[in-house]
Parts: sequence; structure tokens; C-alpha cells
Amino acid sequence: MDKGANDITCDLMVIGSGMAGMAASLFAANRDIDVVQVGITGEINFASGLIDLLGVHPVETQRLRKNPWTAIAELVSDIPTHPYAQLTPNQIERALDEFLAFLRDAGQPYSAHPNQNTRVITPVGTIKTTYAVPASMAGGAAALATRIPCLLIDFYGLKGYSARQIKENIGKNWPDLRAARINFPDLKGELYTEKMAWAMETEQTRQKLVQSIQPHLGDAQAVGLPAILGIYRTAQVLADLQDALGLPVFEIPTMLPAVTGLRLREAFEQRLPRIGIRSIYQHKVTGVEALNDGTFRFRIGNGPAEQTVRSRAAVLATGRFFGKGLYAQRTGIKETVFNLPVYQPPDRTRWHHKDFLHTEGHLINQTGLEIDNHFRPVDGNRNLVYPGLFAAGSVLAHQDWMRQKCGSGLAIASAYGAVSGYRDLLA
Amino acid sequence: LQTETREFAAMLFTISAYLSLAICLFGLIYRIGRWFRLQIGATSDSPNPGQRLGSAAAAGLDLIFSRRLGSVLLALGKDVVLQQHLFRQDWRRWLMHMSLFYGVILLVFLHALDDQITRALFPDYASTLNPYLFLRNLLGALVLTGAGIAVIRRRAIRALKRFSAPSDHLALFLLALVVVSGILLESTQIISPSIFDQMVIDYLGDDDPELVEPLKAYWAAEYAVAFSPPVRETDASLLADGKNVHREFCAECHSPPQSAFVSYAVARAIKPMAGFIDRQHLDLYLWYLHFLASFAALAYLPFSKFFHLISTPINLMVRAAGNTSTNTPANRLTRRAMGLDACTHCGVCSQHCSVKPVFQVIDNHTILPSEKLGAAEKAATGRQRPVEAVELAEGSHICTLCGRCTIWCPSGIDLQDLWQASLKDLGCNGYSDPHSWIRTRSIARWAEEARQRRSDAEPPPPVRLADSPDSFWACVQCTTCTAVCPVVAASDDPQRDLDMTPQQIMNLLRMQLKELALGCRMVWDCVTCYKCQEHCPQGVKVADVLYELRNEACRRLKPTGPIMSNAAKKVPEPEE
Repeated sequence: MDKGANDITCDLMVIGSGMAGMAASLFAANRDIDVVQVGITGEINFASGLIDLLGVHPVETQRLRKNPWTAIAELVSDIPTHPYAQLTPNQIERALDEFLAFLRDAGQPYSAHPNQNTRVITPVGTIKTTYAVPASMAGGAAALATRIPCLLIDFYGLKGYSARQIKENIGKNWPDLRAARINFPDLKGELYTEKMAWAMETEQTRQKLVQSIQPHLGDAQAVGLPAILGIYRTAQVLADLQDALGLPVFEIPTMLPAVTGLRLREAFEQRLPRIGIRSIYQHKVTGVEALNDGTFRFRIGNGPAEQTVRSRAAVLATGRFFGKGLYAQRTGIKETVFNLPVYQPPDRTRWHHKDFLHTEGHLINQTGLEIDNHFRPVDGNRNLVYPGLFAAGSVLAHQDWMRQKCGSGLAIASAYGAVSGYRDLLA
Repeated sequence: LQTETREFAAMLFTISAYLSLAICLFGLIYRIGRWFRLQIGATSDSPNPGQRLGSAAAAGLDLIFSRRLGSVLLALGKDVVLQQHLFRQDWRRWLMHMSLFYGVILLVFLHALDDQITRALFPDYASTLNPYLFLRNLLGALVLTGAGIAVIRRRAIRALKRFSAPSDHLALFLLALVVVSGILLESTQIISPSIFDQMVIDYLGDDDPELVEPLKAYWAAEYAVAFSPPVRETDASLLADGKNVHREFCAECHSPPQSAFVSYAVARAIKPMAGFIDRQHLDLYLWYLHFLASFAALAYLPFSKFFHLISTPINLMVRAAGNTSTNTPANRLTRRAMGLDACTHCGVCSQHCSVKPVFQVIDNHTILPSEKLGAAEKAATGRQRPVEAVELAEGSHICTLCGRCTIWCPSGIDLQDLWQASLKDLGCNGYSDPHSWIRTRSIARWAEEARQRRSDAEPPPPVRLADSPDSFWACVQCTTCTAVCPVVAASDDPQRDLDMTPQQIMNLLRMQLKELALGCRMVWDCVTCYKCQEHCPQGVKVADVLYELRNEACRRLKPTGPIMSNAAKKVPEPEE
């Protein structure tokens, strides 16, 4: 890299545009830190919209937790290396509050009980334990809790979402749950939720949909639809449908990538630049150089569009394998940007449990970066790798967010921890 | 024998003259009639030939009584007489064309029609007198020069060489044949002792050796007549006597032969073979050749690029008349048909074509305007085979309608308008896009075709994006590409309209079923907006892959021959 004078300079470089990267940028901007964020459209498209905090602990027994905070206390004492252990419950709570406040301001209000997880219906009719749910889904949680007469709608052509399947799975204890399949207005063949959501933003489609639903209403006191109620004006779409049907309407998450992820992405991509984030989305970090003065210089993109960013510090929020923060080679697992030491099983044969569905999960799902209490990556001897480098999100080791049901909470809390760590470093 | 031969020659001349004249006249009527019959860009309520003729006549009358007549006459002067527009483009082409144009035109009036025109204007006309003798040679030399430049031009400019047609060379060859045979004929006549003897009988009316011997000597010395046995050319007193006889009997009709600077030179060169030439009556055969070639050219005129002698000046003048009277629907159709005939296939349009570089890659001549015009003519006259229509559709859609060809056309053809009309016709006939051929078969049939052709072909193609596992390893079939695709969004039933969606095509490729993807309408309807590629969470180069597939399908499946004859014509209607 040449020492060009055209470097973009900033205090904090956030690498990654998933949930953790977005959260880190948000927290940093809220604290007047000068941030450049870079990352390709990634895992955030695959967000269900549900904000998990901690739903299962311990994973071996698959115990569902009602109160996430007591679960976190147990988790921290059982697994002291878990990223949650680097934060106090108070910090985690503040992080969630700040994050949800941003989404509320962005027109995506959430609903959460302070000390209680919420049970929501999944597209295959199982029950998932989560912490905060989008307001558009809150009605479903309430209906599930009270088992009021309820009509679930699905559509011809929509794959991976079956009202009938949901009814078969959870209808045993919910006799007044009914399912109906209808045509989505003006679309034929295979349906895609994004297209449906776009269509739902128009009043015409909503009117036609209401007309199609009405004959099936019967004695229903609430109507459940797949999560297709618009992308930008979900609250209005929801209110419109409720007015027209005269009943509460709620969304059930769909298979991923889903509209719920799009909503989050749109909220961040549109609002973060407004609060001062300089974003370089759709680009990847293609090279990094740690300079002698402790700063970093990043190369962004390739060819004629190449840019360089120089920053005092960086938050690595590149995710695990799907986000490409980690890369599994035959010889081991690599960290892709800095080539940091990765905590991983001693050899490839130990990556996976012999029993694919074993409740203990797989060791490969524990791999990642080990950190100090400022969320800075350390090597196997717990020595700092770079004093100015922080890490957040699923790239961190010693967590199995999918089985523990702590993905979003982990992303948000560790982003908070990383930004706090950066501020501590300055202080 | 001589009388019989003469009679035969005269009969052959007369018959071939009238025959060729009749062919030429009928041809002209046919070609000019076509201006009112051919339909390019017509609609169902377009006027019939009679109405078109009426419109053209009305426009002509209107022009005569309008101020625009001035600009039309000016155009006639500048563009037809002086050919200024050619000079501005390239002085060498101007030289070539002026030589050919004036050489041929003046030879026709001065020489071919000498009995009808020249003698009427100049009662003392004799073909062997100056200035006629000199001018004939000069004009012949001009035609040869022009034809020479034309041939060199067609050989030297690579693009031009590539699409020069046999008809281009045939026209030049015919002209050259007429002129060269004429020059040779004149040369053999110069040296012919038989003609000398005949002339002596006709004009001296006396075979007194006292008169004939000196004259022979004088003509052998001065006029290169090759007598056998040779006469004494060096005897001064004989020559002086001969000169006196010459003055008395011959000089009135014979200018010095040096004026025939071409044929006299040739005569000198062939003089040693005079005996052979005279014995074999080569001059007679050259005479046959000369007039037969000339009449062939006359008969060929309406059916060849010679016709531009008539059509191009008219076209230039019609253009100069402006749009006010010619822009009616009826006259528009007529102008287009006339434009087809005004083309001289000079290739200037193609030399300046904006999409000529595409022609370097895709071997389709109809990309080039000069060739597209011929194809459009074939289409208009209904002589086009389906495979040619497919080609024309491709060429026409590669054209960007930038208008450069129209600006450059030395014949003043409104090519831009012609292309638009021709595109419309193609659309009406089912060739609405350059790759309509791909719609003629199902994806399974194309896959089969692709597999079969691969086995015939040389080694398999190198691994590209669509073949490489690296392109797809990260694909999780998340449907993001499909969800953001505007082409998918524009359809209310993608499976019906597109066969498959982008993510399904990626899946085919992952499974090494590339052949099945080649005929997918999704591949062909992709607008390369790159939304899929930008949104792909895994960095799969979706749009690049689709583009590559289209190129590969073109390379492997594009119809090149009779295979399209039954398939190309109809585009299947989408099923409801």
C-alpha cells in the first residue's frame, strides 16, 4: 500500500455490517466517536427481527428460560469465557435499551417484558423463546399466550411457510386455531416475501388482501399472517389491515432471508449516515496494515474503486463462517481480515460431534476470537494482539448463539462492550 | 465470306442492341415501379401503389411551383454535377467517381450515341477526327483510371474488402471490358491493312499503284498500318507523294493518330503481330466483344449498381426538396424504397458505423449499414429466408440508431428512417429482439442441442465463472438475488415468464447442469442491472454469470445455417 495522502481518516473503523457492526456504529455515533463503517450486505438480511437475549441454558439440557437475566447469571458462572461474562447485566440492559430506542425512532417499535422472555410462533409451528419482538409480532405472542380463536393465513406459492403446519404443531392445545390458504393479490407462481412486502405497501393490494381474508374469518379474534406487512411503513400497513378486518393482526416470522431482516437493514443503512456514520457498504476490507503508531490502515475494495481508511482503532464485527469473518480451511480455521489467532478445536476431526443433532452441539460452533475484558482479541496466552483492535458479535469464541438463543443480544451487548472498551482506552 | 460476315455482324449488332434496350427499359420500369410497391415500415392501412404514385406526382408538381425548386436545382448542381459532398469526404473517392461518372456518361453520348447525338450537333463529325478521336481516348482512360482506383480502394480498405460483393466487382469488370475491348478494337483497326484496302476502294475509287503505293508508305509510316509484305517506309520521295495523296483523299476524315494516345500506343505495341491479327480477323471478334459487352452493361443497368446513375441523383434531389412535401406516409414509403435503390454499396456508411467494432467480434454482416440495407431489401421483397431474418434482427438490434450512416451516405439515403422502419417490420414478423431464436425451443431441447454439439466440437471450453465451483461454493440458495431482481418483479408469474429465477439458475450451475440454463428465459431477459450481484450476501457474481451464460449460448447455439429454417419463424405465445 502506498502512503497516499488520500486516506480517509477516522477514530474508529467498524468492519462488518451485520447486527454487531450496525450496533457498534450506533453506539459509537451516539458517543460522538468519528466512525467509518465498511461491509457487504450480509447476515443482517437473515435476521428474523426477533431480539434474543438468552433463551436456552444450559444447551446440553435444552432448558428454555423464562427470565433471561437469571439465565445470564447462570451462564456467566458456568462459562466464564462467554462474551456476556465481560459485561454486567446492567451494561447489557443499557445496550439493549439504546438499540431498541434507535429502532423505535426508526419506526420499528419493539415490545419486551423487562424480566421475561417471550414465546413466539415460528413458521414451522414450533415455539421460540426470545426477548424483544417487533410490535407487529406482539399480537401473536399474546394470542399464543391466551389461545384466543385465531385464523392463520398462508399463500399459494409461498414456500417455507405453512399455516396448516403451524396449526398441526401447536393446535393440540389451541382448539380455536384455524388455517386458510389464499392467493396473494396479483402475484402468481412462486412468491417471494420481499416482493409481497413491496406490494403490501400499496393500499390497493391491502384492500384486495382484506377481501380475500374476510370470507375465512369466522369467529376468529385475531389474524396471523407471514411477515410481509411492508418494509418501510409496517406500522401503517398493520393498522390498515386491523381497521379493515376489525381484528388484531400479527405477523409470524418467515423463512430467511426475510422481510424482517430487510427492515432492520433499511433502518440502519438509512439512519446511521444521518447520525454521522460514514458508511462504505457493499465493499469489503481487502487488506490491512498495522502501523507503528498503533493505528491501522485499511484497503477497501479492489481496482479503480479502491479506497484507504486510516483509523486509530477498529471493531471487528465480521461474523463467523456465513459472514466470512472466519474461514474453515482443511488445516484449520482462519480469521480473514487480520489473521488473528482463533480459538478452535485441536484438529478437524473434532470440529463436529459425531451425532449431528446432539444437544451439546459442535465444537466448531464455539470457535472464534478470545478477548480480554475490553473486548480486544488475545492469543492463546491471553496476550493482546493489537491494543487498538476490538471484536464484537458472532466472531467471538466460547458462545453458541444459535443453540443458546442469544444471537442479537450477543451482537448488541458485545458491540456495546467493544465501544466501551475503546472509550476506556482513550480515557 | 466477307459480305456474309458483315451481314451477320450487323444483324447481331441490331438484335443485341434492341434486346438489351428492351431489357433495360423493362428493367427500369420494374425498378422504378418498385419504388411504389415495396413496403418498408408499412401498416395495414398504408396506401396502395397507385396512391403512392399519385402522392409522388403531387409532391413533384408541388415542388415545381415552389421556391424549393431552387434548392433542388442547386443540389443537382452541387451534388450531382460537381459531387461536392464526395470531395468534402475524400478527394480520392471524388476523383474516382468523377472519372467513372464523366468517363462513362460522355462516352455514351459522344461515342455510343454518336450517330444520334454527336453527328446531330456537329455535322462534320467523324470518329477518326479530333477532338472526337482524342476525347474518346481520354474518356476511356478516365474510366479505366476510375475503375482502377475503385478496385484498389476495395482491396486496400480491409473492412471494405471483407464485404465487397461479386456484384461490386462485376460492375467494374463490365465497364473495364467495354473500354479495354474498345481500345484494342481501335488499335487493331489502326494497324489493319484490310481496312486500309477497303478504304482505298471506298474513297480513292482507284487502284492505280501510282497513288496507292505512296499512300501505303505514308500510312505505314504515320498511321502505323501494318502492310504485308512491308512497304518502303523510308523512301522520302515516296512518302512526300503519299502525303499529297493523303491530303487529297484522307486528311478530311483522319486526324493525326497520335491524338488517340491510348490506342495508337497499343497499336504500335501490337504491330509485330499484325499479320496474325489480320488473318484471324481479331478486329472483328473485338468488335463483337465490344458491342456485346456494351449491350450487356446496358441490359444489366437496371438490375445492378449501375442503376444508381438514375436513382441516386433522384434521391439526392428528393432529399434536397425537404420534408414538407415528401413526409406524407405514402411518400415516406416511396422514399424508403427509392433509398434502397440509391445505394451504391460504396461502404462509406460501414466505415463510419458506430457499432463496427461489434462486427469484429460477431460475424454478422448485417451489423454494418451497407450490408443491412441489402438484407432489408431482401426482407422487403420477400426473398429473405428465416435464417437471414434472424441475422438481420440481430444486426438491427445491435445498431444504436446513432445516425452516423445517414450523415455519411453520399447517396443521401435516410438510413436512420430506413432502420427504424425495418425494425418495426421485423417486430411485426416475430423478430422482436436479436435473440428471438432462443425462444423457439424449450430449455430441455436447447440443453440436448448443447450437449450434442459439445460432443461434435473440439475440446471442452475453458473453465469460466459458470463452470467453476469457486463461483458458487458460498451460495446458500437464500433467494436474495431473486427477491431483488426487477425482471422477476416485473412478472406476475416468474415461472411461466422466465422458466427459472436467478437463484434457481445458480443452483443448476452448482449441480453442473449448465446446459439446462442456456435456454432459460431469465438468462435472456436479464437487464444486467447487477442488483442481484450487489445484494448477494455471499458475493456470488450472479449477474456476471447470467451474462456469461448468454454469451456461451450465443457461441454454442446461435443458428448459423439451415437448422433455423423451420424453427426461427414463429415465436410461441405464452400460455395463459
